[in-house]
Amino acid sequence: MFGQFFKFALQTFAGGLLFLSSTVLTQAANTIRIGAPLSLTGSLADEGSKEQQGLDMCVDAVNAKGGVKVGTEMRKLEAIKYDYQSETSRAVQIVQRLLTVDKVDFLFAPYGSGDTKATAVLAERYNIPMIATSAASEAVYDQKGKNLFGILFPNNAMVQTEVEFYKARVPQAKKVAVFALNSLFPKAIAAALRDTAAKGGFQVVFDGLYSQGTMDFSNVLTQIKAANPDWLYATGYIQELMVIRRQMANLGMKIPIVTMTAGAAYPEFAQNLGPLANNVTTNAWWHPSATYKDSYVFGDAQQYTKTFRDKYKKEPTYLEASATAGCEVLAQSVEHAGSVDADAVRKQLSTRQFDTFYGPIKFGPSGQNAINSPMILQIQDGKYMVLDPQAVKTGELKVGVGG
Amino acid sequence: MIAQYIVNGILIGSLYACLAVGFSLIYGVLSIINVMHGSFVVLGAYITIYCTEYFGISPLIAALIGCGIMFVFGFLVQRYLINDLVTAPIFITFTLTFGLDLLLNNAMIQAFTATPRSLTLEYGSITILGVSLSIARLGAMVLALVLTGLLYWLLRHSQMGRAIIAVRMDHHAARLLGIRVERVYAITFGIGTMMAAAAGGAMATVFPITPLLSGVFLGKAFVICVLGGLGSVPGALVGGIALGLLESFGAIVFGSQWSTTVGFALMILVLVVRPSGLVGRKGFE
Repeated sequence: MFGQFFKFALQTFAGGLLFLSSTVLTQAANTIRIGAPLSLTGSLADEGSKEQQGLDMCVDAVNAKGGVKVGTEMRKLEAIKYDYQSETSRAVQIVQRLLTVDKVDFLFAPYGSGDTKATAVLAERYNIPMIATSAASEAVYDQKGKNLFGILFPNNAMVQTEVEFYKARVPQAKKVAVFALNSLFPKAIAAALRDTAAKGGFQVVFDGLYSQGTMDFSNVLTQIKAANPDWLYATGYIQELMVIRRQMANLGMKIPIVTMTAGAAYPEFAQNLGPLANNVTTNAWWHPSATYKDSYVFGDAQQYTKTFRDKYKKEPTYLEASATAGCEVLAQSVEHAGSVDADAVRKQLSTRQFDTFYGPIKFGPSGQNAINSPMILQIQDGKYMVLDPQAVKTGELKVGVGG
Repeated sequence: MIAQYIVNGILIGSLYACLAVGFSLIYGVLSIINVMHGSFVVLGAYITIYCTEYFGISPLIAALIGCGIMFVFGFLVQRYLINDLVTAPIFITFTLTFGLDLLLNNAMIQAFTATPRSLTLEYGSITILGVSLSIARLGAMVLALVLTGLLYWLLRHSQMGRAIIAVRMDHHAARLLGIRVERVYAITFGIGTMMAAAAGGAMATVFPITPLLSGVFLGKAFVICVLGGLGSVPGALVGGIALGLLESFGAIVFGSQWSTTVGFALMILVLVVRPSGLVGRKGFE
């Protein structure tokens, strides 16, 4: 539409001005420069600001202890951040700029699997290591590059754990309905769940997609209700998942297990839905109740959570934690390599195991974290309880959503 | 099942109608494409949410407070920012409201953050003849329809309403007849903004709100006005309910991922086949 085009043209212009002003300000001497395209406005603004907070946590903590030891000198970390307005094409332009104009030492990937995949080719072309902190889909890492490193372990490991968990706890559950946002990650994890569940003996009674910006789900939910599933697996971002849960209540739907992936893991989901959020299960790549030790910064996961809470007055989710861990992994690699040379750091990244508050990280041959530690969470009385793994469990599964 | 689908479509369609009526009115009278409309809806929704949460009042009263505040806001925006350019070519006013929208929307992201907020109201739902009706949605629908009806009545029967219609028909002639055109413009803009706030208030009871929704709301307003016919209250009503039903059945026939596409596809079709919209007439009301 003409209006859309015009909006785009002006946004581009405004973005250009932002570029000019920020480069002048960010030229500090002798720092280790990490380029970070962030989705601070647009449809992924919430996720983008979480990622930024995670990155800032690491930069501040590392700089507070004097910086990163490179050979004999201490060098501070510096994040060069740009807002890519949640638009893939702008993310690509910004990464290009970070590489050619800002000449950053290392890169962070933009938010999510889709945008990460789109920008990873640039990291490969310029041979600069790129850390992806929010891309879990295997399809992102199949481009045979050697510069993309993903903190989140693969989707498949997550859904495998989920299917086994629910099968063991609720043996009478036989029918699963899968409803996914039409975007790379939500679609990929839903497809993985559907296949794994089918192999695990579940009958898939509904398998559908929805598009971003959908305001009314009542008809699709009416269809799902008619299929009478024992387990509803809905994927997407926080906004749509909240609408789905509310409209389920409007239609008087009662389903034994309701799992909402990605958006439901953020505390805002439970805060905004109140009692409706109860017994909704979700999954996470990390949770503040984790007990991992970290000898580089923070000490352990509890300490990280406390520092985060003091700074931002809220609980961190896996998204912030993974951004912090991504930056920490880079800092540790630089320290071990004794230089910021891309080849030397890449060698450290691809061979070393990193023990962080986020959990152990060891990048596999594709570049994605190969150590799986899936967590299954459930919202009970507004609080997030860890149901699995058993070692850090804080609650038992409660069956029955909506009545 | 079919009855449930139709009811679902009408429930959302009434909200759509309320969403579009202010946009349509402003276009009809001032010939301005108000790009800020989506942001006005969001702002109205935030006022409703904050008033309900902090003063503990009913969302209905909060929405009416939102309407009052937004009327004044809209009036002032028109009087002091837009009025000087109101007779300029449409492209100029379009650019102006677009620029103002960028400011307003980004200010809202700063103030409210992009994290969705919603009212945790649980009024439950009732079932009539096997059709579930959410009380909150029903209430939102009634609020939207009553205000739209009231607007229609006011335009036809009040002195100010007749003045607005007169300005819409011919602002030169209206001025000759002693109507203070600038004031009518500002009041119309205020009413349009107020209707946006009413839609926002109704939306806040059923949807999580974030400033990022303003683009979605504006897009819907466009489609509805083209479907129903720009510039008329019945047009917005017909367009809104038509879009609600279309999306509703589009989701069933083509799958939910296509439901928003169906609306835009039909908009293009209507533009080609019947550019004045389903109930619009060429010229004025």
